[in-house]
Amino acid sequence: MWTSVNDIDRMFGAMDLFRNRMNRLFTDFDRSYGEDYNWRLAANGAPRTNLYDNGEEFLVVAEVPGMSKDDINIRIQGNYLELSGTRKADAPEGYRTHRAERPVASFTRSFTIPSDVDGERVQASLKDGLLTLKLPKAEAAKPKQIEIR
Amino acid sequence: MSERTDIAKVEEALPERRSQLPMVAPAVDIHENDDEILLFADMPGIKKEEIAINIDNGKLTIAGAMKMEKSGAPGWEEFADVEYRRSFSIPQTIDVAQVNAELKEGVLKLHLPKSEKAKPRQIEIKAA
Repeated sequence: MWTSVNDIDRMFGAMDLFRNRMNRLFTDFDRSYGEDYNWRLAANGAPRTNLYDNGEEFLVVAEVPGMSKDDINIRIQGNYLELSGTRKADAPEGYRTHRAERPVASFTRSFTIPSDVDGERVQASLKDGLLTLKLPKAEAAKPKQIEIR
Repeated sequence: MSERTDIAKVEEALPERRSQLPMVAPAVDIHENDDEILLFADMPGIKKEEIAINIDNGKLTIAGAMKMEKSGAPGWEEFADVEYRRSFSIPQTIDVAQVNAELKEGVLKLHLPKSEKAKPRQIEIKAA
């Protein structure tokens, strides 16, 4: 049946590959990546975001390719965050367009941050088409070390 | 399924295993005028060093891996590290040596100039 040990290795390699694919299937499904990747973007032009919590502050990252800082508005109140903006058409004059997949739209998206943030100390930066917001937690919402007496 | 393998494995360079990042085709706009074809591709989060643009035998491939710096526990994640990759067929009339690319705010802008021979020409009629 098996002509050499190499065939067995090959079979295990194939099984590993299959397992990795299966493992990935669920995460891919969750993030709606793959075939329908653009579908969510095109739906209303609103950027996709990630939120991270590192104890002291929240980090919100949004995909905003091709937008400058003047195109984006950020509003914060308590634990309510609103991102709005406009993606302008960057098609140059005098060209025929063969394909236009990149959305041209204005969007508004609002979020409820898990706890109150200190609106005074929020920092926003824009790099490589990613908008990063640093939202320091309000004093009352910060994690505290409790000492046992 | 058991994680354990009793047989020592030979790592083979299977092309499918080269990268574990999900592959994503970036959205593109393609414009054309008499002098060039202009391509815009949305690749948010990508750095200049990470992009590879290849033209081989009439096939243009743009590819690059996007890796984000993360810290803290994720609250929600709608996007993650991906590998952008997309291929296009380009006409023979493109002057490959003159192709140039810019990257700004996560948008790749690729100029594909047409060779002199392929540009439309106005023919003047000479008086006989």
